[in-house]
Amino acid sequence: MKKTILVTLATVAIGATTFVTFAQDEFPFQNQIEARQAFMNVYRFNLGMLGAMAKGDMPYDAAQATDAANNLLAAAKMSNGAMWPAGSDMSAAGLADLTAAKPEIWSDMSDVGEKHGALTTALEAMAAAAGDGLGALRSNMGAVGDGCKGCHEPFRASND
Amino acid sequence: MPQPLDEDQVPAHTANLQNGELIFWAGGCASCHAAPGAENDDLLRLSGGVELATPFGVFRSPNISPDRESGIGDWSTLDFINAMVKGLSPDLQHYYPAFPYPYYQNINYIDLIDLKAYLDTLPPSTNQVADHDLSFPYSFRRGVGLWKWRYLAGNSSQADVAATAQLERGRYLVTGPGHCGACHTPRDAYGGELNNRFLAGAESFEVPEGEGAGSIPNITPHSDGIGDWSESDIAYSLESGFDPDFDSFGGSMVEVQENMARLPADDRAAIAIYLKSIPAHASEKD
Repeated sequence: MKKTILVTLATVAIGATTFVTFAQDEFPFQNQIEARQAFMNVYRFNLGMLGAMAKGDMPYDAAQATDAANNLLAAAKMSNGAMWPAGSDMSAAGLADLTAAKPEIWSDMSDVGEKHGALTTALEAMAAAAGDGLGALRSNMGAVGDGCKGCHEPFRASND
Repeated sequence: MPQPLDEDQVPAHTANLQNGELIFWAGGCASCHAAPGAENDDLLRLSGGVELATPFGVFRSPNISPDRESGIGDWSTLDFINAMVKGLSPDLQHYYPAFPYPYYQNINYIDLIDLKAYLDTLPPSTNQVADHDLSFPYSFRRGVGLWKWRYLAGNSSQADVAATAQLERGRYLVTGPGHCGACHTPRDAYGGELNNRFLAGAESFEVPEGEGAGSIPNITPHSDGIGDWSESDIAYSLESGFDPDFDSFGGSMVEVQENMARLPADDRAAIAIYLKSIPAHASEKD
């Protein structure tokens, strides 16, 4: 757990010092911002399947649920610090409408590493339980939701 | 200038603490009055100190724990009702409407009696909170009297469909303790709500623009709002924090959702029914 936090912090630090820019960027950090938004969509797609089963909008299927949960866990374990370079937050010039990432993510007091660790823990529990029936899936949704909100509450602005 | 209620306007009622607790969560009291960042059991220690940065200056929420010196332990039930429905302190000073009494005025007196009794059971705190830090002329508390004269009419919004018990419950929760419009309805320059755009979304007032602020969503049944959410989508989102696409709530809405998650499922369903019934408004384009 501590190792995961250290690895996460290290990758964020590396991401902070390695810029990947392309001559054809329409706006600063376009590559990273679009990648991380697409990455969030992958979370959403897989979570959507689990949620649809939990809500009763889709019939429960143990194999499909397990796949979706494993996908979420794999995504959480990706080393993705390079998608979050310092300076790519919404207060940067020109980025106010293009990203909802708040500058707090990169502050000295940021606990983004711990929050990521909590999400990973919740997803590990979900991956272990998703195939054990609808009740098990449902009872793990709360912790997964808390894991998502753990970052979204302090670090993402509401942008309509 | 509202007059305070007097003792014979308070109905005789033996307090129901369970209902008081329901109103406590529906009203979001802990979100402003518990210490900043409080979680779990600390949410019940209402020591105050949350700061609200607005265009009028910084408001700081007071200690409303039952401590007799630092909180409101020496308040009578009548004092509490006057605060919630008239925005008046026990010594008849105006409260700033950062304390959302324009919504709490819609809560009935039975529920307020229950709520006060519940608050009296919570742990006391001796925390002292600094005064508000408001810019001129808002620092002039007596000016709130003028604001009230202009803005403190009855506040509820009429739904477009015939009332059922569940619709009425939903209306009560949204326009009363839920005070959803306090964020989701846009305001004019003096902080009065634009009732002809009820729940149609607003600019976030909490921080200066461009420094991590955002906008507050339209939650009317328009396609710009939540028009394609079903009633069960709305109720589920309040229970889980996920919207119908499984995007997660963020920012200030997380605390609200966690309060709503403590209500009975029927209450979330009632809120959903009411939100589907109010007038639909397109969002403002910048």
